[in-house]
Amino acid sequence: MTIDQFQLEAKDINVWFGERQVLKDVSLQFPSNKVTALIGPSGCGKSTFIRTLNRMHELIPSAGLAGSVLLDGQDIYEEAVDPSTVRLRVGMVFQKPNPFPTMSIKENVISGLKLSGRKNEISDDLVENSLKRASMWNESKDRLDEPALSLSGGQQQRLCIARSLAMNPEVLLMDEPCSALDPGSTRRIEETILELKESMTIVIVTHNMQQAQRVADKTAFFLAEDNQPGYVVEFGETQQVFGMPVDPRTNDYVNGHFG
Amino acid sequence: MSVEAVARPKFAEPWKKTNQRSKLIQIIASTVPIGIATAAWLFAGVDLIVSVLLVLLPLQLIAVGIAGFLLKGRRGVPDAALIVMTYFLGTFVMVLLVSVLWSVVEAGFAALSPQFIFQNNVYVTPTTGLEIGGVGHAVIGTLLVVGLSTLVTVPLGVATGVYLTETRGKSRGVIRVLLQAIAGLPSVVAGLFVYSMLIVTGVSAYAGWLGSLALVPLMLPTVARVTEESLRLVPQELRNGALGLGAPSWRAFLMVTLPAAKSGVVTAILLGVARVIGETAPLLTTTFAANNTSINVFDGGLATLPTYIYNYVSLGFDTSIQRAWGAALVLLILVGILFGAARYVSRPKSLKAKKKKEKR
Repeated sequence: MTIDQFQLEAKDINVWFGERQVLKDVSLQFPSNKVTALIGPSGCGKSTFIRTLNRMHELIPSAGLAGSVLLDGQDIYEEAVDPSTVRLRVGMVFQKPNPFPTMSIKENVISGLKLSGRKNEISDDLVENSLKRASMWNESKDRLDEPALSLSGGQQQRLCIARSLAMNPEVLLMDEPCSALDPGSTRRIEETILELKESMTIVIVTHNMQQAQRVADKTAFFLAEDNQPGYVVEFGETQQVFGMPVDPRTNDYVNGHFG
Repeated sequence: MSVEAVARPKFAEPWKKTNQRSKLIQIIASTVPIGIATAAWLFAGVDLIVSVLLVLLPLQLIAVGIAGFLLKGRRGVPDAALIVMTYFLGTFVMVLLVSVLWSVVEAGFAALSPQFIFQNNVYVTPTTGLEIGGVGHAVIGTLLVVGLSTLVTVPLGVATGVYLTETRGKSRGVIRVLLQAIAGLPSVVAGLFVYSMLIVTGVSAYAGWLGSLALVPLMLPTVARVTEESLRLVPQELRNGALGLGAPSWRAFLMVTLPAAKSGVVTAILLGVARVIGETAPLLTTTFAANNTSINVFDGGLATLPTYIYNYVSLGFDTSIQRAWGAALVLLILVGILFGAARYVSRPKSLKAKKKKEKR
């Protein structure tokens, strides 16, 4: 048995919006080339937490943060670190598909390279490869120049995944990527996730218990009592968290007794 | 075994009631009031406007109210009142707009000719016939003065709109208030300000660029606020998507946010141009007037269509007033061409793609 390497690590993360604290002392280690699921009822701070991992959190006015996030040992919140370089290495897929409406399918795939000034890396191979890894190639190869908005919701979300993959990130954050999709699209994205973890570390927020069990190696259960900041109740191997949870609250949640 | 022909459902709109009774009620409700009002106007000698307001409107309200009651019961009555009022007010505005446009076209058409559009005003006296001279110099002057003004205002106004939406600058509130204040500035004050600051003090004589300068504060609030509104409509998810890919903010703005708001920004510029292209007062004290064609905006008086109209109406001769109407019509046509062109250039990409395909 090999010992897990931790590419990404959150240490004592506390988060505020204005005066209100929404996360308290969250520390999680994300093993390399594995999928970690974040579960918990709405409003417990999972999405807020995942946004602290690539410095998207600070884009919200009134956001505050204490603690550190280590990417390969370096704190991404150090003063000298440029947030955009962090986001190049830690990609993100959002809850709502958000392809760029003014661009074609192909332009969307290569938009990240253009947006970060790496035009010389653009090639047709990269477009094909990224779409293939997001299992979008067959549906889009004959319509690469059509507007991205002509795709269905599920296809748009896979296009957004392809867009992130074209950047070849080391870590991919997914914030409820399937919440707006039908079961077929959800299944295809789950298959994609399982293929992707060969080459990157994945963190996924999900409300779907079955999905967490299908894709995640590790699972963290977040909880927030009324008007209290959210925190991690339990963090462990997915099988253990769902099969024999240590904490009774985890047991209640994964068996659908609340939340 | 015989296959029986199954009757396929046919396209239908069952929500449109078509039985004879309701058809009859609708026809009576829509024709009787108009008939009575027309009769009152034609045979009883009632004034047209009085007949429309005091005969047609109340009768129509009552008739449609009764029809609504007969067709839908009590809930049909307020429906009917709302429908009649909306149609009536809508028609009223429509009649107003068309009559304004029509009066310009009717009065200006006589003066209109290629020579009137392209020739200048040299050798024209107030009583010279319409077959000599025209407003070509004023068309060029208007394009130059408004064009220069647009060139200066658009970067300023768009930048202001960007500052208001895309940054967290501390003076956003103050700037909004100031923009509102400038929007209320009487245009003549803008002209007099430039006049007293630059002409009285001897910095410059009358010149086109002074007119452009006087138009800037009039155009700026419109461009800035409409740009702001259109950028505000761009979903936050798009900005996040771009930033999440590791884009620096300026690239995210130029490549994602601004293109998504493009048609709104174009509208902002058009509304700004529309705001100033007919301005007369600020130009009278800055660009003054001229009879010859000039493209030099830095020296000497420059004719523009609004000041031309003002001057020729003031002269008071029949032919001079006809020339003013003609110039008004030319100004209308010019605005129409500018707006049509801008809309064509900025139309959505998908439409362009579709057009190309159809050609193939």
